[in-house]
Amino acid sequence: MMQFAVDAWEPDYGAGGDSTHLDKTEGMVDVGVELGAAEWEPVDPGAVDPPESVMFVDGVRRIDARLWITSADGLVHPGVCASFAAGAVVARGGEASVEAIKVGRGLFALAGEGLGPIVTKDVTYALYPVADDSSEGLYLGVHEQMTALELSIESDGIDLVVFDGPLRGRQSATAVGYVKTHHVQYLPEDQQRVVYRLAPGQRSPLFLVGGQGFSRWSWYVRLPGPITHPLAGVVRCELAGLGTVDDAAWRASLVTATLGRFASEPHKDGRAPQNLYPIAGLERELQRRLGDRVFLERGLRLAASG
Amino acid sequence: MTNGNDPAAALGLVVGTEDSTPLDFWFAVSPGQRVQLDDVVAVDRSLPDGTKVVMYGIVSQIRARQEGARFESDVFLITDGVLPGEVTEAAQVQITRIVPETFVPPLPGARVRRAEDAERDAALDFEGVDRRLPAGLSREDEPIWLDLDFLDGTKGAHLNIAGISGVATKTSYATFLLYSLFTSGVLGKEAANTKGIIFNVKGEDLLFLDHGNTALDDESRARYGALGLEPAPFRDVGILAPPRAGDVNATPDTGARQQGVAPFFWTIADFCSQRLLPFLFADAEDERQQYTIVVQSVTARLAEIASTSTTDDGAVRIEGTTVRTFRDLVGAIERRLIPDDPDEPIDPSWSGRAIGGGTINAFVRRLASATRYVEHLIRSDISDSPSHALDLDSHQLTVVDIHRLHDRAKRFVVGVVLRQAFEAKERSGVAKPLQFIVLDELNKYAPRDGSSPIKEILLDVAERGRSLGIILIGAQQTASEVERRIVANSAIRVVGRLDSAEARRDEYGFLPPVQRQRSTILKPGSMYVVQPRLPVPLLVEFPFPAWATRSSEADPAHNPSGTPVPDDPFAGLER
Repeated sequence: MMQFAVDAWEPDYGAGGDSTHLDKTEGMVDVGVELGAAEWEPVDPGAVDPPESVMFVDGVRRIDARLWITSADGLVHPGVCASFAAGAVVARGGEASVEAIKVGRGLFALAGEGLGPIVTKDVTYALYPVADDSSEGLYLGVHEQMTALELSIESDGIDLVVFDGPLRGRQSATAVGYVKTHHVQYLPEDQQRVVYRLAPGQRSPLFLVGGQGFSRWSWYVRLPGPITHPLAGVVRCELAGLGTVDDAAWRASLVTATLGRFASEPHKDGRAPQNLYPIAGLERELQRRLGDRVFLERGLRLAASG
Repeated sequence: MTNGNDPAAALGLVVGTEDSTPLDFWFAVSPGQRVQLDDVVAVDRSLPDGTKVVMYGIVSQIRARQEGARFESDVFLITDGVLPGEVTEAAQVQITRIVPETFVPPLPGARVRRAEDAERDAALDFEGVDRRLPAGLSREDEPIWLDLDFLDGTKGAHLNIAGISGVATKTSYATFLLYSLFTSGVLGKEAANTKGIIFNVKGEDLLFLDHGNTALDDESRARYGALGLEPAPFRDVGILAPPRAGDVNATPDTGARQQGVAPFFWTIADFCSQRLLPFLFADAEDERQQYTIVVQSVTARLAEIASTSTTDDGAVRIEGTTVRTFRDLVGAIERRLIPDDPDEPIDPSWSGRAIGGGTINAFVRRLASATRYVEHLIRSDISDSPSHALDLDSHQLTVVDIHRLHDRAKRFVVGVVLRQAFEAKERSGVAKPLQFIVLDELNKYAPRDGSSPIKEILLDVAERGRSLGIILIGAQQTASEVERRIVANSAIRVVGRLDSAEARRDEYGFLPPVQRQRSTILKPGSMYVVQPRLPVPLLVEFPFPAWATRSSEADPAHNPSGTPVPDDPFAGLER
């Protein structure tokens, strides 16, 4: 009889983890930094004092309208008007509050003469030229601006800053990348089996990911929740590759112990438990701050006609 | 409190997620501000032509919610600091006035401010009220006024109070209003001659109105002060009580209060000449009842006899026999209608024409059954009987105690007293000074269905009293059981605690849904007052009575009429 499990995430989000389709990583991976490759075992974070303040940083983006721009030479190019926002939730004491929300609006199109920002009756779409005006290229442009906005969020005085997604070059000691989906298989099969065996609240030993001049300490964590398949509730975390392995291991345990509290439950979130409650709340707030899409689109149509 | 331009200092802003209308709107309460039900607020709007419109209103509902929560259990996550969320408060405002009267809604984002002092008067439309009758205090201890024009007959008259017994404090509020009328100065020079009649229908609550209340504390005194009233008992009170049944000396039948009480009863001659017989029959004017013809006929015959053969001591000679007691009178009537010899024809001057034996029997049966309840009220067997005629004029406030009477006797007394007061006003021909009448249990005297002499009198008062200067302050548990025209003729409506089933009835359509719901939880001493000037009911709290409402409260030192206070026979008992 075939053994299978249904992914906990709603199908629209893709899969939380699908080991059969993981790409092999191209960067350098050193699995022997904390424990020897042969000694890999699930790690219990043990008793850790939780950090006083935890910040969760996330961004959202939305295409408000697709445009066709006629350039000076009479050719027509695609473009998009998009709204994007980044913000942070700070959980401090017994309170989680949304702080530092930034909203940007941009026109993304192939660089060309005569291009400029679009001013509607309500908002202005700043011009962000892109090198590639294919669908993917435009989308990447929007994504880069959103990431830039995320990077601009101040996090001074926060003990632990959780970024939704990979670290993307952030070099702060308090920053943690939080990766919900597994597009890349970093570990050899023996170590990958250890990940499958993680109990809720446990983490894998650290491994060092190198490549492109930027190294990160990384590890897997299984969040609380039912284990319906080997990767259920498993996320990958990243720390900037600074300091000693002992420092990194301590911090990895701290993060592992902290995350469980924020994990969501399936009846409330389509991406439970990986989509953390504060991030889900932040995303809703950010979506709201993007404004009403139909309203913005109407403004753009008015601007186009007149 | 608010400085004009800082949005954070506004009480709140009109929301854009709920409809704003010229009748009501919602505003989000600014952080750090406190809004409670019944707060009076104002909001401005500029019209395109430059006109500035101010809208005033009263907070009728407030809700708090957690934004960012999608599930009920999110509250745990938010409180635990896991999920971001924000508590917001929003208040619904019922618009009372728009100045100038341009019916436009307030706009989302408009700043809402508390209406204070002059603005509060404008909001509650007090500024145009010249003659202000103190009606009680708001929850913020600000005075609330009634426009006397709508009570004294100038623009309207009568006041109706509804509410369940015990907690609605209907009688207490009616007494407070009388006190306010007599002593606030709103009536001017007429106050001295303005009269009140109040029926004491339950307990002995009203028999100590002329005694100070020992339970009155300084806080309550201050509340009187806030209304411009002096906390004191009624100055000029006459108390009338029925005589003790079977007592030949006609001693008033009261419990705790023995002194300063005058007995009231009617002589046989009064009974006959004033045509009081129909008041013994609750349904005497019901067309479907055959025996009412006999009632009319006997009444006419008795009046005719009384006009010719009355003795000095109030007795009546009926065809040779002197009748001194009600029992004798019933006997005399019975003999005329049912002769001893069955073959003897019945005198049609007594029975009326073409009346069957069954109808006569029905009449006699009803009359006889009334005897034991009213015989002590209708009598000429006391030496100075005529001097006990009902005296409604000697005192400013006359308390007619009927609480120990049987229902049939109560109806008789109320009907006769009302008619006497009404006819006195009719004779005088001038509306001023006013005559106020306080009557609880209207449903008993003017029920929705059927017809009776008492109901007719009450209807007369309700419909013609305004021009005659006779003002009814009526009360009942359930307005749905009272003749519609009586309640409808009341310019001012007051609602105390209502039964929740009763509150749903159409009779309370003048209460908006929120107030209707709140009326079921009003505490004693709080009433909704609806007056014609304002589309929104006002919640008023009236001060604790400054007069005793039972003998244990009566202050022997504060006793204008000088009657000693007896020991309370019920002291220590739960009432």
